[in-house]
Amino acid sequence: MQIYLPIAELSMNLFFLVGIGGAVGFLSGLFGVGGGFLLTPLLIFSGVPSPVAVASVTGQVAAASTSGALSYYRRGGIDLHLAMYLILASTIGAMAGVATFSALRSAGQLDLFISVSYLLLLGFVGTLMMVEAVRTMMRRRQGIVTPDRLPSQHSWMHGLPMRIRFKKSRLYISVLPVLAIGVFIGWVGALLGVGGGFILVPALVYLLRVPGNVVIGTSLLQVVAMMCVTTILQALTSQSVDIMLAFCLMVGGTIGAQFGASAGKYLRGDQLRALLALLVLAVAIRFGLTLVLPPSDPFSMAVLAGGLPQ
Amino acid sequence: MKRWLLALLMLAAAPAAAETLVSTLSNSQVLITSSFDGATLSMFGSIEPGAEGTAEGPYNIVVVITGPLQSRVARIKTSNYGIWSNTDQVTFQHFPSFYAVISSGKLDAIAPPDVLAQYTVLPEDQARTTAQATGLKAERFSLELVRMMGEEGHFVMQEDGVRFLSNNAYAVNLQLPSDVVNGRFLVRTLVLKNQQLVTERTESFSVRKSGFENFVFVASRQQPLLYGIVCVLLALGTGWLAGVVFKR
Repeated sequence: MQIYLPIAELSMNLFFLVGIGGAVGFLSGLFGVGGGFLLTPLLIFSGVPSPVAVASVTGQVAAASTSGALSYYRRGGIDLHLAMYLILASTIGAMAGVATFSALRSAGQLDLFISVSYLLLLGFVGTLMMVEAVRTMMRRRQGIVTPDRLPSQHSWMHGLPMRIRFKKSRLYISVLPVLAIGVFIGWVGALLGVGGGFILVPALVYLLRVPGNVVIGTSLLQVVAMMCVTTILQALTSQSVDIMLAFCLMVGGTIGAQFGASAGKYLRGDQLRALLALLVLAVAIRFGLTLVLPPSDPFSMAVLAGGLPQ
Repeated sequence: MKRWLLALLMLAAAPAAAETLVSTLSNSQVLITSSFDGATLSMFGSIEPGAEGTAEGPYNIVVVITGPLQSRVARIKTSNYGIWSNTDQVTFQHFPSFYAVISSGKLDAIAPPDVLAQYTVLPEDQARTTAQATGLKAERFSLELVRMMGEEGHFVMQEDGVRFLSNNAYAVNLQLPSDVVNGRFLVRTLVLKNQQLVTERTESFSVRKSGFENFVFVASRQQPLLYGIVCVLLALGTGWLAGVVFKR
């Protein structure tokens, strides 16, 4: 059954859209990430113009993360104080990201930039997670029980001024790295159409030493808030949010996320992290190959912004 | 727009012809609804005797359909230090988003080159005349752009698409793709006899969204803030609802 997308100005199969929304939603429920880093490239590959794909996926990520965030909130798995700082900072970052997006698009280097950033970001985060997960697995095999909370080593970050106490996370740290992480996540998220959960979770765990029981919930809340801000910013600036496309993806995504979350109960934390690392690395390699391998068609075309008749 | 005026001027300047063309389109408006998956238009025409002379064939027909104009850019990737990236581009100002040439035979067999050039019938000419570059570069990018437009179904060449119902009457079917750009479409029909242009006619139809689709599009352009807020509420609502439904 075909459905017409009024902003993308093309028609797509309804079941296909709900289906890929559901498949990515399953993974996002399983790993506690938004899934934008999978969905955006999938949509672009299916023929959706990249500005519409990037802008509409933000809505889907917000929806898929909402139900997760709510259930963590009920269980008390969110550090609201920490989330507030992250959200404020990432809003500023998102504004810069939307502006960068427009600038790169008019310069014709958006594709290259997106490919390189995906490669570097996903490659780095994926490798980091992989190494950590494998190490945990090997320790477990040797019979060493690793604590849920990483040892609070004092790094240079703990010497920074403006220290704030985050009760729920049992942290007393400088607010500066928190804000820096927030701004970066906001900027990357708006630029690449991703929630940033796959960067935020490792950043909270490894950089800020946030305990495991509040990491996912806090990250989900931050993703919801940031995606809401980005959706409104994209609607205002690029006007390429397709509400029909977003809604089809949302319906699939939220349902898939529920199944993913229940499937996640059968896997251990380190196994989940290893699987997520594999997924992230696979996407990174896919982007790396497009940069290195000769393209099947060296020519490409695009409609210039503002070229559409009103 | 400029080209339309030019076409109208040429129409006005044409001498009293021996034949006139009567034609009609099956729809003057294609409405896009939620289940839109492309559209088919039919065009019927008849070559009638004009004020002086008779209408005797055999005739050949060339129908040229031009969609709304856009600014389009063609880019080329080259390898620099092992990385493939866009290194050169040509912009095409006021380039048709859709272009179809439907004729009753091979174009080079039925129409002289000067008529084809005068009416910029060939898709390649559409690209050449709108390219914001010169020389070999313009030529190369024009050919590649036309190829890519053809591969995506936006440019169509159908050299056997005109069916003659009798000596003087013909029918044409036009397929519009599902990702057709909204706006006004220009249909030019050229009637040729013995490789000479006999008469021509220009008409138009429009493609536009209707009902809910139109409402959504207009809302996103005129009330972007409200539109964004509605998107956000929809997302939060869907997420919340899914959480409630699957809570058990």
